[in-house]
Amino acid sequence: MTTQRPVESAARPLTEAQEGLWFFQALDPSNPILNTGQYLDLTGPLNVAALMSAADQALAQAGALRLQFRQGLSGARQWLAPEPPRLAVVDLSDEADPETEARRRMRADSDRPLDLARDPLAAFALYRLGADRHFLYERIHHLAIDGYGMVLVTNRIGELYSARVTGRMPSDPFPPLDRALEEDAEWRASAKRAAARDYWLGALSGLPEVTGPAPGRAVSGHSFHRESRWLPADLTARLADVAQGTGLMWPDVLTALASAYVARWTVGEAVTGVPFMARMGSKAARVPCMAMNVLPFRCAPDEDAPLAEWLTSAAKALMQGRRHGRYRSEQMRRDLGLIGGARRLYGPLVNVQPFDVAPAFAGLDVRLNILGAGAVDDLTLTFRGDPERGILFEVDSNPALYSPEDARGHADRLPAFLAAALAAKRLAEVPTASPAETAAITRASDATRHTLPDTSLWALLETEMRRSPEAVAITSGDKWLSYADLDFASAALAAQLSRMGAGRDRLVAVALERSADLPVALVAALRAGAAYLPLDPEHPPERLARILAMADPVAVLTSPDLAHLFPADAPLLLTPDWADEGEAPATPPAPGDLAYVIYTSGSTGEPKGVAIEHRAIVNRLLWMRDHYRIDVSDRILQKTPATFDVSVWEFFLPLIAGARLVMAPPGAHRDPSRIARLIRDEGITTLHFVPSMLSAFLAAPQARGLSPRRVFCSGEELTADQRDRFHRTLTAELHNLYGPTEAAVDVSYWPATPDDRSNPLPIGFPVWNTRLEVLDAAMRPVPPGLPGSLYLGGIQLARGYLGRPDLTADRFVSDPARPGERLYATGDLARLRHDGAVVYLGRSDHQVKIRGLRIELGEIESAIMASGLVREAVVLAREDHAGEKRLVGYVVPGAGYEAGVLAQRLASALPAYMVPSAMVALDAMPVTANGKLDRKALPAPVFAAAGRAAEGPTERMLARLYAEVLALAEPAPAEADFFALGGDSLSAVRLIQRIAAETGHDPGLGTVFENPVLAALAEALDQGATDDGLSTAILLAEGDRARAPLFLIHPAGGLAWGYRGLARAIAPVRTVWGLQNPGIDPDREMPDSLRKLAALYVDEVARIAPEGAVHLAGWSVGGILAQEVAVQLAARGRKVGLVALLDSYPADCWRTEAEPDPVMALRALLAIAGLDPDGHPELDSRAKVVAFLRRTDTALGALPERVLDAVIRTVTATNRMIRGHWHRPMPGTLTHIRAGLYHAASDLDAGMWQPWADGLDQLEVPFLHAQMTGPAAVRLIAPALADRMGE
Amino acid sequence: MSLTLDRMRGDIAKLIYLDPEDIGDDDNLADLGLDSMRLMSPVLQWEQGGLKADFGTFAEFYTLGEWWRAVERIQSRTAIAQP
Repeated sequence: MTTQRPVESAARPLTEAQEGLWFFQALDPSNPILNTGQYLDLTGPLNVAALMSAADQALAQAGALRLQFRQGLSGARQWLAPEPPRLAVVDLSDEADPETEARRRMRADSDRPLDLARDPLAAFALYRLGADRHFLYERIHHLAIDGYGMVLVTNRIGELYSARVTGRMPSDPFPPLDRALEEDAEWRASAKRAAARDYWLGALSGLPEVTGPAPGRAVSGHSFHRESRWLPADLTARLADVAQGTGLMWPDVLTALASAYVARWTVGEAVTGVPFMARMGSKAARVPCMAMNVLPFRCAPDEDAPLAEWLTSAAKALMQGRRHGRYRSEQMRRDLGLIGGARRLYGPLVNVQPFDVAPAFAGLDVRLNILGAGAVDDLTLTFRGDPERGILFEVDSNPALYSPEDARGHADRLPAFLAAALAAKRLAEVPTASPAETAAITRASDATRHTLPDTSLWALLETEMRRSPEAVAITSGDKWLSYADLDFASAALAAQLSRMGAGRDRLVAVALERSADLPVALVAALRAGAAYLPLDPEHPPERLARILAMADPVAVLTSPDLAHLFPADAPLLLTPDWADEGEAPATPPAPGDLAYVIYTSGSTGEPKGVAIEHRAIVNRLLWMRDHYRIDVSDRILQKTPATFDVSVWEFFLPLIAGARLVMAPPGAHRDPSRIARLIRDEGITTLHFVPSMLSAFLAAPQARGLSPRRVFCSGEELTADQRDRFHRTLTAELHNLYGPTEAAVDVSYWPATPDDRSNPLPIGFPVWNTRLEVLDAAMRPVPPGLPGSLYLGGIQLARGYLGRPDLTADRFVSDPARPGERLYATGDLARLRHDGAVVYLGRSDHQVKIRGLRIELGEIESAIMASGLVREAVVLAREDHAGEKRLVGYVVPGAGYEAGVLAQRLASALPAYMVPSAMVALDAMPVTANGKLDRKALPAPVFAAAGRAAEGPTERMLARLYAEVLALAEPAPAEADFFALGGDSLSAVRLIQRIAAETGHDPGLGTVFENPVLAALAEALDQGATDDGLSTAILLAEGDRARAPLFLIHPAGGLAWGYRGLARAIAPVRTVWGLQNPGIDPDREMPDSLRKLAALYVDEVARIAPEGAVHLAGWSVGGILAQEVAVQLAARGRKVGLVALLDSYPADCWRTEAEPDPVMALRALLAIAGLDPDGHPELDSRAKVVAFLRRTDTALGALPERVLDAVIRTVTATNRMIRGHWHRPMPGTLTHIRAGLYHAASDLDAGMWQPWADGLDQLEVPFLHAQMTGPAAVRLIAPALADRMGE
Repeated sequence: MSLTLDRMRGDIAKLIYLDPEDIGDDDNLADLGLDSMRLMSPVLQWEQGGLKADFGTFAEFYTLGEWWRAVERIQSRTAIAQP
């Protein structure tokens, strides 16, 4: 076959239908997903010669199969190659497995990206698998042909084959391809097109942000995952009946119901894409070509409406769309301004294809297999066939968004949904989960059944007391009690309480600091048959009084020093007055009696008392003892305040296992080092942390290397980062527990093992005799993946809220699936994983609406955490200005955190409306007295949003670019300061790249550093300023020029950019300059000694600040230079204030070191970029280091090559200079700040500076050397420096 | 089975809730309310009944008269080809 060189005049422009696909392919020419393909499985005696002749004839008749494409000068062009494709015949019958080999070849062909100008877009092959078995393979690029076109060609081959074999006459040949092009030209100019445009603009006005069932960006990859299911015959029969009964077409019914299913996953409103043949009444109807369109279908079903009514309205909408269906969806996107990857016109596709049935080949059995039908951005739900012949349902999914289990889930579930919907009177009746899923969930729930003795907590305690009276039960400091002692003491106190009225369902309040008395008091209350009510001595007396009034206890057990907290008439029983002997009352509690009452804060402001019965807490404790194998060798730490129900297992788990209860001293629970000491000294095997406290504990040096047996976390979300840090710090099991006070402490567990990679960490599986139910708004179980409300059932539910039957009825509802049983509505949102583990998603009151869009804040928090850049994240919807809600993210940064990078990651992971408008970095999240997150204490972000709007073309351009680079919600105002709004060196590099792309002029980084305020930068741009940021002196932060400026001298690489954070923390009290090594400018010479280099800096200082005092500081090499500059300034008679060295050591230390080889200098670049070179031993060449820097998004990585080269030579040269330098003493005090964390060469000491300064001021901060200019260290260092700069 | 013009007229009429008499040979069927979706079911039925036409045949033209001419041609060809 020869291909003639195409002549420009033979080339034609593309049709509207082709243009959309051309653009998609051009974005990624290596993506083969537009190679649509199928094969026919032919069984029977095939006449190969007849087939070859039929195929060649059919292919010759379809002009589109000869199309080629390329980008022309004024748009894409298409032309016809001279020769049509021919059928290739391949005999595979000698292969070991011909079928597999055929599939492999078809797959390989379909997966090969095509050069659209040179490669044939169509390929046909006949694979002979055996005498009576053949595959007829067809692959045609979507630009040439659509699905219906493929049907035309395939059917034609069948027809021509049958004609040859049977003598039957075939139908008319296809009209020529030109018809399609002519029609397109007519359409473009027609009034109908204008009318269609008007229709769609109307129909799509107010389109919500379109999403699909899976979160994330829907961009087609190179492949898709397929699940296929034949719809059961009774389902298709029912479909036909419903269509008949409603007078609607069955494809419309199917499209509507499938879209309603999608809407269940997108909070009730979906926009599905409905492929449309677009050939009706068209001259080109029988031309194999690319004509099809995808029409958006807005589906927000009124689920309470009668089904027939809703179906009819949906069908009407579909019909209206089809009337105007030639108007391209790509054009609709442009009309609506939905450009840019994340903005979608429609979500999943619903594709009903009645014509995709196997064509007839005379004498053969034919089966059709579609391989690929185009791009799969999200989900494509395809139905091939019809109710008579059978319908094949295929789910094609984007593997980037859906796991194979997710895809299988939809493939199994949608047919069940359809069956249920077709039999229902209203959609509201139809569950989203399939009957199989619901049954599996019920089975799993029932499987937690575990037979237990019906007993009381007191009975369990009694058993242990009798079994091992001599064993140590309780220790508190030096004091200890044996089980026998506990028996004796609790008997006496119980008798006394009994005399005071303690008994069934009466309360005994307990307000004691931690000591041995506390557990005795609790046990005594139980023994007397009463329930204990813990009170927190740190609560305000007014609150205590309110609780006492509501609870009406028979006694308040407390100590003399706390007595003043209580009302005068409270029935106090002070510790000195406790009976020390007496016989226990004969009124032990029954399993159904109350065991304890704990007050929690109510959303209305009044605390409510959660009343837990014995059998509930018995279940919880026996499960824990059994599941974690708690035995006599265990030592359990009691440190949680008794008002927090975690304490219940801390107290009683050891005592029902014959183990030891170790009371922590009062106040110890807040001090990580004390907790660490207790673990060591007391041999603690088991303890608890609220995750916020766990973070603090893991940060304490004393925690390293501890090895208790097990640590439990509950009370708030445990993050994957916390799990991983835990296993790096301690050797112990880590278990995540979840449960509200209303369900006897905890109802679920998850082993957070070192191998666990879950993110987010699930709350896991239910404990014994307990149900975790994730239900939709109609109280039905949801399928895996769909968020729902979490309800709890089973034996651990509280009796209710003391004295508040109204509140009780509100939260403890009847279980619709189990008559007579209750469910507790947690108010938490959750979803199920495929393995059945439950994942907590947040409070349902963290569901907010912004601009009409429903948002789960938990989902945004998960996305931030999944970036791996932060330790903790919280997102709030703040209304700081009336009527204007904004999403604000609060983060505790982790390693490698940069605001610009996080903003980018979020923009690619979340829909635009879910990306926070601002991100506030904090040292730590504020916590309440209980150690839980205190949302109210999160600060309002500082928006520089006040001030006039941008004016003029330059300012407006910058306003847009600032918003783009900094992920702002709207264009920035004229006074916007780039760095104040969260910009950093990296985002500054991005900003100038965008400016250069838009204006053709690169203003240089220095221009942005010098002019961060938008209006000033605009002016600088208008004046054609260029400052590449490589000058010897750069302005880091503007401040009060009346005060002495601070000069920060560069570290090893020669750049002072990394001081930005420190500079901004010091300003605006004074101006802060950076001094940079001339060597970083490739065009400049470097001095040959450190003394001469310093002299250069002295000249700069003198130029900038000709008189008055100056301050100096430097990190690493910069510190050595600072000391030398100070010496020279003093010699010139200048006054030097602060001379601060950040972890720098005198040149003497380095003199004997070998000259670094070039690779070491390169790796120093990693350190300059804030990365740890020791963490990357594989980066051993210039190419690898530079590639790594570019990949990990650092400002250094964005530098041009020649500048990077200059930085590298500066590193080497400076190193040499240091080794040749000899210090001289400087007057005044040298301030040294040591990097205290794991100082690598631990013999480096601030004292080494003693000979070289009059005085030495030594400080230390807990960071690594590489972290000293990072945001966390700056928060400590900046104030320390500021304090020492007097004038 | 042999499809007749009256049969076609009747099937179409049912779909668009008209009397067969109200559909003239030269009326534009799209204007009378027939769209591609509604057209599909009779075409499928006629195909199943043995008519060797495909959807495209009916998509190209939009009057009953032209459809009938196309069907006649197809049916006569089929008849000739019977051995």
